[in-house]
Amino acid sequence: MTRRMKTALATAGLVIAAAAVSAAFASAAGTPGVTARTIVIGGTFPLTGPAALYGAIPKAEAAYFSYVNAHGGVNGRQIVFKYYDDQYNPANTVPLTKKLVQQDHVFAVYGSLGTAPTLATRDYLNKLGVPQVLVATGDSYWGAQYRKYPWTIGFQPDYPGESRVYGKFVASKVPQAKIGVLMQDDAYGQNYYQGLLQGLGASKSKIVDVEKYDPTQTDVSAQVVKLKAAGANVFALFALPTQTITALVVATKIGWHPTTFVNNVSASPLFMALAQKSGANVDGDISATYLYDYINNPSTATAKLFKSIVDKYDPGANLLDANIEYAFANAWTVVYALKHAGKNPTRQSFMNALTHLDVVNPFLYPGIRMVTTPTERFPIDQQILEQYKNGAWHPFGHVFSKAR
Amino acid sequence: MRPARGTVAGAAVAIVVAAVIGLLPLALSDYHRSTGATVAVYFIAILALDIVTGYTGQISIGHGAFMAIGGYATAILTHDHGWNDLATLPVAAAAGFAAGVVVGLPALRFHGVYLALTTFAVALAVPQIAKNYSHFTGGTEGLSLPSHSGLWLYEVGWAIAGATFVLAWLLLRGRTGRAFRAVRDSEIAAASAGVTLAVYKTAAFGVSAAMAAVAGSLFVLVNSFVNPDVFGLQLSLYVLIGAVVGGLGSLWGVLAGAAFVQLLPVGLTTGHLASSQAVPVIFGAVVIGVMALLPLGAADVLRAVLRSASTRGKHSETPLGTEGR
Repeated sequence: MTRRMKTALATAGLVIAAAAVSAAFASAAGTPGVTARTIVIGGTFPLTGPAALYGAIPKAEAAYFSYVNAHGGVNGRQIVFKYYDDQYNPANTVPLTKKLVQQDHVFAVYGSLGTAPTLATRDYLNKLGVPQVLVATGDSYWGAQYRKYPWTIGFQPDYPGESRVYGKFVASKVPQAKIGVLMQDDAYGQNYYQGLLQGLGASKSKIVDVEKYDPTQTDVSAQVVKLKAAGANVFALFALPTQTITALVVATKIGWHPTTFVNNVSASPLFMALAQKSGANVDGDISATYLYDYINNPSTATAKLFKSIVDKYDPGANLLDANIEYAFANAWTVVYALKHAGKNPTRQSFMNALTHLDVVNPFLYPGIRMVTTPTERFPIDQQILEQYKNGAWHPFGHVFSKAR
Repeated sequence: MRPARGTVAGAAVAIVVAAVIGLLPLALSDYHRSTGATVAVYFIAILALDIVTGYTGQISIGHGAFMAIGGYATAILTHDHGWNDLATLPVAAAAGFAAGVVVGLPALRFHGVYLALTTFAVALAVPQIAKNYSHFTGGTEGLSLPSHSGLWLYEVGWAIAGATFVLAWLLLRGRTGRAFRAVRDSEIAAASAGVTLAVYKTAAFGVSAAMAAVAGSLFVLVNSFVNPDVFGLQLSLYVLIGAVVGGLGSLWGVLAGAAFVQLLPVGLTTGHLASSQAVPVIFGAVVIGVMALLPLGAADVLRAVLRSASTRGKHSETPLGTEGR
């Protein structure tokens, strides 16, 4: 054995031995993140990278907390909101969430954005008993899998809940419907499609064609042409924004004018305007919402409060950005739950508050009530349909009640 | 032949570095231990890239793909087949080796930027393939694995990193390493000296990819989660940046490179400035700066220090230019 090899082996042995020597670490007692004057919550969001548009959400949530803090905070405590940029990459979400829990000692992980990032941190947070609440994703896992993950809860209506509303509407209001569906060929598309089938009920025989596209594929022209050829007069679009815009433009260009349903994810006024600019006729398209209608009610108390808070604490924000409206509704909910978690909140009392909601959130569409029980964990399960006219969405009809 | 004093100095550095790495967790919080485990992941991945690019001269900007192969091997075997996670590492290495040999085949005909583009394509394709076969890989929703403590991750990560380092050193110091360097410096000269290019090029790719796959497995264990976004292009670029900053063709520079690519983004994202926007700018500036001022990376600084210590101020005979690698 040469001298160098001996050195090398000794080095390797040393690394292993020294690593094995290290001792375990004891964790501190008490409720983390809560002091006499502050309560610390935190989350991860894409502030940069491909999903950076959502970066407006934590900024607006922070603005709402500043407003609450300026008015005395929650039970005398100031809310400290820490948020980090995970770029929508779970490989960033996991270490950043660990930092929130282990270094920043947050009381709860709040509002973190995205399905994969939430799935990536769910085991870890539930193992430690850290609340993972009001996550910004529309998958149904958060409400459905509470037995295995009791510390996780979502916020917005889940995807199947949304398309159930479309199904119910078509079944009752479009008697001669011949439905064509364009869906993304993955769990996201399937979630929407299954909800549509449930909402249609006996009317599901009115589906004349279902076309799928691969998530990596952006050109959906062929599928749209097939749907037209199948004679569909109702077009249900369960796609991502890029494919939705393409589909809307192609439909108009080939002279197909069905009653079109655009899912909430892709229905941002920004995307609708883009489709219109590229030649799509989007007037009359239908979507669903659960947020307050600021455009048509600019002088109500809610709209004025919304505007004054944004103007004061988040002046760079676009008032018409649906993300800002979403952020306010979400932030209001966590403040409400913190208040109702008691004078000396614990993680358990906080989860209790979130699983016993029965309240009207002023930043949601009037008539929607947030209701949860320990076994019914979808905070928002009602929506209103809306129609696109003159460059804006206009809610119509009545609020669809819990459809589960 | 190097003077004995150089070997002694190298061994002393090795022992000091190993001791510091081994004892560091005593002083770290559990969170910082997991961060340290990720440095180990980058250490192994950069070491892997260094073998094929730094020592053998075959440029790869697709090492994230090999990491993905290892990561998915570990995730699928533990998640769907109930394997112990450490038992999956040899499988990951074998899968990585096979993939590396296949990707190495174009290296027999392509050189420089063309080979780089081929590996780039692999880096783009592998995550898409994982997205497509979602019944197998979990698609974008990924696969969740049980999480480990930071201490466990740190110990396992650095034990494997240490073992990999020793293996790489043993491989590169002898006949194989000489053949690799000969291929890098001049393929024609190497071939005429009896080095079978096909064997050594594909072997370099295979060994490198096997190591990268092990790094990918550990990456998945550190994150206790895998989906295609985890192995995006950014990962391949980080590994390359780490290799350049640390110094291509230097085993010691790997440590500096790994620390740089892991700790800088974490520090900037969670620091007081919380300016993750600055990360790409700083990375770009540092890479340009290193290329312009220190073409051999951080390792160059270390080497110069060691040399001046061992020759006591006398000018060394080998110049520090690229020829001296």
